[in-house]
Amino acid sequence: MKFSFDDFDFSKFKWSDIFSRGVALPTLTIGSKTATVPIVQGGMGVGISASRLAAAVAQEGGIGVIAANAIGMLEKDYYKNGIEANMRALRSEIRKARKATDGIIGVNIMVALNDFHNMLQVSIEEKVDIVFLGAGLPLKGIPVEALRAANVAVVPIVSSAKAVQLIFKFWQKKYNDIPDGVVLEGPKAGGHLGYKPEQIDDPAFALEAVLPTIVEAVKPFAKELGREIPVIAGGGVFSGSDIEQTLTLGASAVQMGTRFVATTECDADEGFKQSFVDAKEDDVVLIKSPVGMPGRAIRNQFLTDLENGAKKFFKCPYKCLASCKAEESQYCISLALDNARKGKMNHGFAFAGTNAYKIEKIVSVKELIAELKMGYAESCETTFTRIKDEYAVAMERFAEVKQEYGVALDNGIEALKTEYDKISEMGASDYFDDKIQALESVENLKKNYAEAQEYIQELVEQMQLFMDNAVYE
Amino acid sequence: MERNEIFNKVVELAVDKLSAEKAEIKEETNFIEDLNADSLDVVDFVMALEGEFDMEIPEDDVEKIKTVKDAVDYIVNK
Repeated sequence: MKFSFDDFDFSKFKWSDIFSRGVALPTLTIGSKTATVPIVQGGMGVGISASRLAAAVAQEGGIGVIAANAIGMLEKDYYKNGIEANMRALRSEIRKARKATDGIIGVNIMVALNDFHNMLQVSIEEKVDIVFLGAGLPLKGIPVEALRAANVAVVPIVSSAKAVQLIFKFWQKKYNDIPDGVVLEGPKAGGHLGYKPEQIDDPAFALEAVLPTIVEAVKPFAKELGREIPVIAGGGVFSGSDIEQTLTLGASAVQMGTRFVATTECDADEGFKQSFVDAKEDDVVLIKSPVGMPGRAIRNQFLTDLENGAKKFFKCPYKCLASCKAEESQYCISLALDNARKGKMNHGFAFAGTNAYKIEKIVSVKELIAELKMGYAESCETTFTRIKDEYAVAMERFAEVKQEYGVALDNGIEALKTEYDKISEMGASDYFDDKIQALESVENLKKNYAEAQEYIQELVEQMQLFMDNAVYE
Repeated sequence: MERNEIFNKVVELAVDKLSAEKAEIKEETNFIEDLNADSLDVVDFVMALEGEFDMEIPEDDVEKIKTVKDAVDYIVNK
């Protein structure tokens, strides 16, 4: 094998090529819509992310998302006409957001909602840009044609690559179409979690472990249909540096919820937001929701009471979730969340992500996005500097090895040269005669040595015999 | 199709979709409790049943199909 150090031409590396992503956040394209900032504001119910927050995020270049679940609680007649109130409120919030911005507006609709189809229908009629479908698998009965006709992109929210495969396979077979992207919501998210309690702290289910498998899972579908299928990852993404790390793992964008609660534009009451500012690390806890799933929330008196077995009076307006066991439950989760939204923290609680305790103050969405952009840029610089430093060290080591190799090579060549010179001087046959003689003399020496050893041995034996026979007087 | 034939097909699909051992599957085998299937596995399995037997299983019916026997009976009665 031919080996040359010249094959390694490091001078052709250009840092600008290696680090082409630069320090500005990349854009995010979903279907026909492109967001200038790859941040999806996670849908937060009940009424935490409505038109005001969604519009503010969209205005800053991200994707603003209105949470559809129990949004009718913003209306006065929810307890009388739940389903109708939900539709009316969603329509009104979408219109308000549209009026406030030309940015990208999405709606988060839980598949498990009993009025899922009504909410989807309103979103189609109002031509929102994207529907995010979580809390269940969007398989049967999805009005794909109507969604396409209204140019509404569809993005399922999942917690595993298996769910991605199921959804995409089903869509391909049934609708001859596939969703426009995927949100992976990891176990560090706030609110209801798509994991079993024992999976939440299991490293195998961590965002950074699952994300690459999702990126791989969408690839064959994207390739087959010749489409881009961006993967958006969320759950615990807090800083610009988190964004950088998440994008490095293959995500096209991040979904963030908790950070957007602590903004002036968040639709919740100031008391709700303040509970995020006040929360300490061990206040962020896992609870068991009446809908039969684990959830992450900020501990307060209400939750402590429940833990101690208290039963909160409520009247189930209508069975909003198929899986909810209202009659067996200690409380109504929609009602508790709606009370919290209104700042009545004694009668409810706030869902929040793992990092909620890190929040120090309430800022505007504009300030938050600016902070994240700067944090991302700084994180990129750090990564860049680290790689450059590692490269410099590697280059130094390389130069050392190259030098060591050169010296060894020179010595080897020198030795060979000396022998070669001898051959040419003496002529080949004399040279080898010389060598054979030298070899013979070594053999002779060895023989002489062996003979000498034998002789000594004989002498020793004779002496022994002499000693044995000698008689001392 | 004979009941036995349907049973064998259901077992085959359970082996494929729920990574179960053929020998451990009996009439009374419960997909979730005995074969450790999660909700996604069940959806995948039901989709496979629909494909194999060329039928639609509405979501309300899916909840009733808990064991191999339930699945076989459901298909026989359709």
